[in-house]
Amino acid sequence: MTVNSSPDFAAAPRKAGKALAISPIARILYLTSLWVPLIGLALFFLYPLVLIVQRSFVQRDGMIGIANYVDVLSMRHIPGVIWNSLVMSGLTTLICVVLGFMIAYFLQRTHARLRWVISVALLLPLLAPSLVQALGLIFLFGRNGLISQATGWNLQIYGLWGLVISNSMYALPQAVMIIQASLRQSDTRQYDAAMMLGATPWQRFVDITLPNARFGLLSAAFVCFTVTITDFGNAAVIGGNYRVLATEIYAQVVGQMNFNMGAVIGILLLIPTLMAFYIEKVAAQRHTSGATEGAMPVAPDRQPLRDISLGLFSYGAALFLIAVVVTVVYASFVTLWPYRLDLTLRNYNITAQGGYAPLWTSLIVSTQAAVIGTLLLFMLVVSQRRLGRGMAKAVYLLAIVPVGVPGLVLGLAYILSFNVAGALPGLLYGTTLLIALCNFYHYHSQGFLTMVTGIRAVPPQLEETVTCIGGNSLHGLRDAILPVMLPTLVAVFFFLFMRSMVTLSAVIFLITPQLSVGAVSVLRLDQAGFATQAAAFSVCIMAVVMIALGMMKATLTFLERKPRN
Amino acid sequence: MRQTKTRLSAFLASCSLLATPAFAGEITVYSALEDEEIAAYLAVAQQELPDLTINVLRLSTGNLGARLIAEAANPQADVLWGFAVTNILSPAIYDLLDVHEAEGVGDLPAQFRDPENRWFAPIGYMGAFCVNTMRLEQIGAPMPQSWADLTDPAFAGEIVMPDPGSSGTGFLQISAILQGAGEEDGWQLIQDLDPNMAQYTTSGSRPCRMAQAGEFTVGASLSFVAMQGIEQGFPLEMVIPSDFAGFELEANALISGSSNEEAARRFLDWTLSESAAQVYSENKALITMPGVPRSPLAEAAGLPEDLSEVLFPMDFATSGAQRDAIIARWRDLVGR
Repeated sequence: MTVNSSPDFAAAPRKAGKALAISPIARILYLTSLWVPLIGLALFFLYPLVLIVQRSFVQRDGMIGIANYVDVLSMRHIPGVIWNSLVMSGLTTLICVVLGFMIAYFLQRTHARLRWVISVALLLPLLAPSLVQALGLIFLFGRNGLISQATGWNLQIYGLWGLVISNSMYALPQAVMIIQASLRQSDTRQYDAAMMLGATPWQRFVDITLPNARFGLLSAAFVCFTVTITDFGNAAVIGGNYRVLATEIYAQVVGQMNFNMGAVIGILLLIPTLMAFYIEKVAAQRHTSGATEGAMPVAPDRQPLRDISLGLFSYGAALFLIAVVVTVVYASFVTLWPYRLDLTLRNYNITAQGGYAPLWTSLIVSTQAAVIGTLLLFMLVVSQRRLGRGMAKAVYLLAIVPVGVPGLVLGLAYILSFNVAGALPGLLYGTTLLIALCNFYHYHSQGFLTMVTGIRAVPPQLEETVTCIGGNSLHGLRDAILPVMLPTLVAVFFFLFMRSMVTLSAVIFLITPQLSVGAVSVLRLDQAGFATQAAAFSVCIMAVVMIALGMMKATLTFLERKPRN
Repeated sequence: MRQTKTRLSAFLASCSLLATPAFAGEITVYSALEDEEIAAYLAVAQQELPDLTINVLRLSTGNLGARLIAEAANPQADVLWGFAVTNILSPAIYDLLDVHEAEGVGDLPAQFRDPENRWFAPIGYMGAFCVNTMRLEQIGAPMPQSWADLTDPAFAGEIVMPDPGSSGTGFLQISAILQGAGEEDGWQLIQDLDPNMAQYTTSGSRPCRMAQAGEFTVGASLSFVAMQGIEQGFPLEMVIPSDFAGFELEANALISGSSNEEAARRFLDWTLSESAAQVYSENKALITMPGVPRSPLAEAAGLPEDLSEVLFPMDFATSGAQRDAIIARWRDLVGR
């Protein structure tokens, strides 16, 4: 077996198929791990989406037709709103991909100290409710915020820039997660060879690092764009007069009870997900990724100039994220923000419905979402490697589209799908499991893309070798895939867990009188004017997530050590 | 097949029994009332109806409306409680309601109940300005008393109001101006206000929350939202606009297909009872039931004995029918 053999994509599944034919158990295992996630996607994503598409064609007169689309597109302000959305998401994507790549590179390829500070800072936007982060930004940069008060400047946070900043805070950690997964896979031998041929560090970066990270960068850009163009929460709090399509859905559905018109805009927002076709094409070009058997991970090195400039941006971004959350924590202890800044614990006596009970419900929901999600995604990602070209394409597209569906639309689609009397799916309605599934499919694309990026580091030959020398697929999984994939699996698990704890837009339609979650309590407190209580509740959510993550991490470390003893 | 089906449903029924003990007298209520109000009212209702278990889901009117429409095929709620009349009149919601002639509904003035008895509104709330007194002093503007006062250039970029397309509160304010001043003058006033408007927000309470935090001077919002801020000690004053104070009714209704119809009707009757009136008067400024003593809150808000002096008689049916046209014209006018 030659080191540099890079079999074309089409050949791989055929070979694997032969190996599979030997062992019936392996075959069953393979089929299960392919079809269970696919059926899940069909039931909990595709079916609800189809119902929404159907609603978008139901006209006011009850007939089926395209009148709603004509109505929406002929509204005079809509072209401006579409333009606004594109500009906002475009800027956010640019910032997040460039900054995200710098941070990911800094974390993965340098020796700089205190990198863990950056890793922790990047968790903050994922585990704090976005409503409260926007409040934190206003507390800091608002017209009556701490900075305005201290300096007398008249800062204008409301509008495009406030929106770009808050959405970047939301998207950046997701970009870093995906790009980092792509930087983990590089092969140090490529760099060594280039060095011997006299390539400068810059040439090595342009000719090796960038092409290898291309898929990760593309995926990250895709996620940043779609996730911010569909996000409503930040636009509502900090967007000011900068109207975007996500606000338009809210205005139609929640403001004017025009359910079907909202569905139309929801469908229009799916258009950017067409980029998925291109990403899938890049993904299929496996030979560019260069994951080969015997690859050795690139060891971090030192280059003072590079490290200092990257560090400046990375620590700067981290500092910003920390500052916003610290402001929230500070506000949670303040008597009456921003007028009486004496400290108190009174805000932690939560007066919203149910007190702290919704927090524990969130914990259950998030654990379910993370366990089910990580398992299903792993099964899907491992099994789709063996698929033929056409099928792989279909799976890819289906797995990537959820990111383009706004939470509000997904939540309502879940009601349409699962609020059915007497039928089996109706059993799920009003349970934590349904909320967990909704959260998982809401964030399905990010998890999928991260895992796909991660598994590209596993050379197909290695897996094959393990299978050929008598091991079954399970051995291949354990010996070839799991060790390489473990950091990515952990990242995805934590991501799903954290987002489930705080996501609001879809969940708000799935809670019941008996079952509410923490993010809803935060919203209620803020609506009733208790901004500091809302901050306090968010601090509790953050603390619980931190503790949970810490415990999981400790367990993981313990499990990793065990076999060696 | 049928047998399996019955067996299955029996099994499911026993499951749900295990999960939540379902009494004959258990109802699910969707409400847009405030958390504190719900707590106060329920405490009394439970005394009057001790055999009834009342489960309340509290969401904003808009979110509840979207949910009701989505759940239409299999309604989950039995009662709609304290839901904005403007939204109830939307056919998408109105068609989901059942007729219930509540005890004593005849005593309510006609404008506070549906001619077909699908809803009745014993309470409501008013449009109000939240004025941050500290910021007012800083910008050196006089205390505004009316919408007309807000056209003063001293308020440039210092006022926030809700977007009528996204928020029922915003719509009630615009339609109060239009109905009060007439089409032509009304649109003129809206246009004159626009240069001073820093933002049109998505939510109806957000303008007041921004004013209480000192981000802007005036937030056009609702009376109870302002009261919440004042109670917490913010430097806030509530102003009921002297020219066009819009108001919104909080209606109660029976949802068609309720599986606990009897209990639901009993609860609805309670919402119009004397004991309910008593607890309304402790929590509400605007009570439409005749003969209810004026509430201390109304007094605190500086409302006159006869509310009709400040409240413009709004025609909800008309504004509802013209809703889309009004919103479209408004958006063209302000261009945001």
